[in-house]
Amino acid sequence: MIELRDVTLAYGDHVVLDRVSFKAEFHERVAILGSSGEGKTTILRLILGLLRPDSGKILIDGQDITEHSESQLRDFRMNFSIVFQEGALFDSMNVRENVAFCMREYTNYSEDEIEKRVRSLLNRLGIEDAIYLMPEELSGGMQRRVAIARSLAGCEPKMMLYDEPTSGLDPLTADNICKLIKELSKGDPPGRAGFIIVTHKVTDASKVAERFMYLRNGNIIFDGDINALKNTSDTELRSFISELYAA
Amino acid sequence: MNIRDTISRLQDFYILCFRAPLGVFGRPFYIRETIEHMDYMGTGSLFIVFLVSLFIGMALSLQISAELSALGLKMYTGRIVGLSIIREIGPVAIALSFAGRVGSGITSEIGSMILGHQVDIMRVHGVNPLKKLVTPRVISAVLMLPVLTIIGDAVSLLGGYYISVFVSHQSGSYYWSQIRDIMNFKNIFSGVIKPFLFGYLISCISCYMGLSARGGAQGLRKATTSAVVMSTIMIIISDFMLTRVLLLVLGERV
Ligand SMILES: Nc1ncnc2c1ncn2[C@@H]1O[C@H](COP(=O)(O)OP(=O)(O)OP(=O)(O)O)[C@@H](O)[C@H]1O
Ligand SMILES: [Mg+2]
Repeated sequence: MIELRDVTLAYGDHVVLDRVSFKAEFHERVAILGSSGEGKTTILRLILGLLRPDSGKILIDGQDITEHSESQLRDFRMNFSIVFQEGALFDSMNVRENVAFCMREYTNYSEDEIEKRVRSLLNRLGIEDAIYLMPEELSGGMQRRVAIARSLAGCEPKMMLYDEPTSGLDPLTADNICKLIKELSKGDPPGRAGFIIVTHKVTDASKVAERFMYLRNGNIIFDGDINALKNTSDTELRSFISELYAA
Repeated sequence: MNIRDTISRLQDFYILCFRAPLGVFGRPFYIRETIEHMDYMGTGSLFIVFLVSLFIGMALSLQISAELSALGLKMYTGRIVGLSIIREIGPVAIALSFAGRVGSGITSEIGSMILGHQVDIMRVHGVNPLKKLVTPRVISAVLMLPVLTIIGDAVSLLGGYYISVFVSHQSGSYYWSQIRDIMNFKNIFSGVIKPFLFGYLISCISCYMGLSARGGAQGLRKATTSAVVMSTIMIIISDFMLTRVLLLVLGERV
């Protein structure tokens, strides 16, 4: 379980998160909504221990990770896998090597075995043809899918973290990625791998998530399911999710 | 930048310098990466080292034989050229070219991995960036720079030979016999110990600058520039200090 307790973080004078608290189980399907620059990515980085909060606690399975050293954090990070907003592919490696990254680090698979596993993953994401291309030769949507493939290969995360997985993509590709995200977290709780998806695309979030949070001015001002979200009385949130009413 | 900032950056740098070589003890070893870097740093730098050394050797020989022939002592050209190449100019000049070629490369590569969040991805997957990115580079630089220096010294001496024999019309066999005279333990030791330190400094400084790159393309430019500038300064200063120490240790009077 993840728990944020009164987490505060500021860049200089700019307070990004102001005493944010929430809990989530690993098998939950959470969407954190919010406008650009509200600190959504920051929350994901905090959960992974890539950033340290100015104050407050971040508990993973009951243990506070805010004071942990980099080597202690390793074990906690193994619970997660992340797809960054920008993809963050290793730009000097081709798709195959990107996806095989974890396998090469942690397993002794033979070249054939790696090739087979990478191919089957890419096949599942519909980009098997791209296996020998370099990241710069891929379109944005393909990069996103390679990043997802890499985050799945060689590790068994208990929870996936997606940072804006659909932004900047056409509706069809975005829809495909939503389906994929959903498929990757199928099965029953508590064994299922849940996810936190961070996005400002409300429709996409509503396709995959079961629990929604809305971040504004450094606070989570809404936390509930889709019906509660639609019936919210907050006028600003209503206009943020106006797409939902249209659908 | 305030004092606290500077101190904490210095501290980070020392930690990196200290931990990077320790990375070779303990799994994973990243042998493939290390070999790749050795190839890039060693084989890749051969051409520039060859050119730089050749022309330095020739220029030095030209200058010195001109001066010495005015004094009627030009048969000592080989001795002076050899000594200055092996003990001072060779190691420093080659380290400077190495800093320009390899140091800037290290910084820009690691820097762009930082800016593209690729290093974050490594950390998320439990890979220690210090071990994966820094250790192989430091090890390769520490091993390859001495090799390059020895090759460069040899090329310089050949360049010196060419000038003294074909331009300054000295005896070739006397040139080589002088070179053989100065090839004693003290001279060779002083000349070969330096590039180990220079390689270590260049690679640590460049890796550190890359890892601390912030702020897009401009930040990368700043990081790369400071890597080369800092390496250059450190090479020159540490060369002076090392020369001083070596003279003391080897018991040579100044
Ligand atoms: N390294 C940094 N230095 C200074 N300010 C930063 C830094 N990173 C983020 N910020 C600031 O923190 C705030 C939150 O950033 P964050 O990336 O979390 O936003 P976000 O909600 O993910 O936005 P988007 O939807 O555009 O991705 C922004 O206002 C940004 O200006
Ligand atoms: Mg973001």
